[in-house]
Amino acid sequence: MTIQVTVRCFSHVREALGKNVLKLELEDDTDTFTVEKKIREMAGDNLDGITLRVAVNSEYMPEPIALKNGDEVALIPPVQGG
Amino acid sequence: MNISAKELAQWLDGNRKVEVVDVRREDQRKQWPLRYLETLETNLDQLSPEKLKTTTVLICQFGIITQRWIEAEDPDEVYNLIGGAQAWNAYKKDERDLSRYSRQMVLPEIGEEGQRRLLESKVTIVGVGGLGCPAAQYLAAAGVGKLCLIDGDVVDITNLQRQPLFRSDRIGDPKSDVAVESLSGLNPDCAVESIHTFISEENCQKLLAGSDVVLDATDTITARRLMDEYCRRKSIPLIYGGLYKFEGQVSVFHLNGGPSYADVFPESVTGGGTCSDDGVPGMLPGIIGSIQALEAIKVILGITPNLSGKLLLYNGLSHTMEQIELNV
Repeated sequence: MTIQVTVRCFSHVREALGKNVLKLELEDDTDTFTVEKKIREMAGDNLDGITLRVAVNSEYMPEPIALKNGDEVALIPPVQGG
Repeated sequence: MNISAKELAQWLDGNRKVEVVDVRREDQRKQWPLRYLETLETNLDQLSPEKLKTTTVLICQFGIITQRWIEAEDPDEVYNLIGGAQAWNAYKKDERDLSRYSRQMVLPEIGEEGQRRLLESKVTIVGVGGLGCPAAQYLAAAGVGKLCLIDGDVVDITNLQRQPLFRSDRIGDPKSDVAVESLSGLNPDCAVESIHTFISEENCQKLLAGSDVVLDATDTITARRLMDEYCRRKSIPLIYGGLYKFEGQVSVFHLNGGPSYADVFPESVTGGGTCSDDGVPGMLPGIIGSIQALEAIKVILGITPNLSGKLLLYNGLSHTMEQIELNV
């Protein structure tokens, strides 16, 4: 069984992948930590040293959680410009 | 033509011959009688420019309907009272002319009571750069009574593209001092204080104490963490703003026990570069700083919904805004 999730990219993630949104086909029960790892792999070394915060379906998730088919994962780096 | 409540009071005190006409509805006249003012009462549709023989001042509830009428009819020697009955009654309460705030006092969420609360409030802005400049301008104009501007930096030529309180001839001068000078003519109701220093562990408490709201317009996460920790301990709402190229983030922390910056971005995180490192279009901090200023007055006045418990993400390329619920 596989599930499809949408990943929404912000700031450094958007820049590293050159995309606002991407769709991922994943194994059932994949969690947010695995998605983050996958995105980091896709980004090469462009996200090294940048911590990402994760939201699922527009809700902040401080800890990894298992994903369901159709979930939307947002990866949000902190930004410091002012 | 427009006159303020203060000018009308001066005309009447100086015995200038002037006819004051209250064009409000009967229920408005009953509910909000004009303090110490004799008027003729009539409806606007019964009024024609030919009937007005002497200098006339028209009063509606908020000074908007009468202004439109005067613009359309273009009568001689007829004036609109700025802010209408609301501004007149506010002035007669304590001789304070609030007509400059009439366009925001007309909003039921603000009103005269809210305006007076803003005039009594103190906002501290930490960082007078891309975010701090627009936030300071709008908060001063809105009638925040005390603004404290904190920045240890001096004006640099590369600031000028996005920090419109500074001009080329002030390069090298302390930012907080120049900002106070630029704002000085903007609104005499707003006392602006300059503190030319960087926020630090040693001075944080002294600098932020007594603020109703602290606005985070810094460009380092270290400074942000200091403010976050102090504001958490003292339960002072902290209006956070951050930028990365064409994107910005805004949130309200510590409001009524709401989440803090540390809850969302815990200790270990890094935050990429500053605007100097990564680049930024000047308008982006203009937008984000203005949203921070809006949240600041909403927090002071208790206007909801606000961005407490939410992280707003703005993209200046696509002009999309998203909100993340911070259930932490």
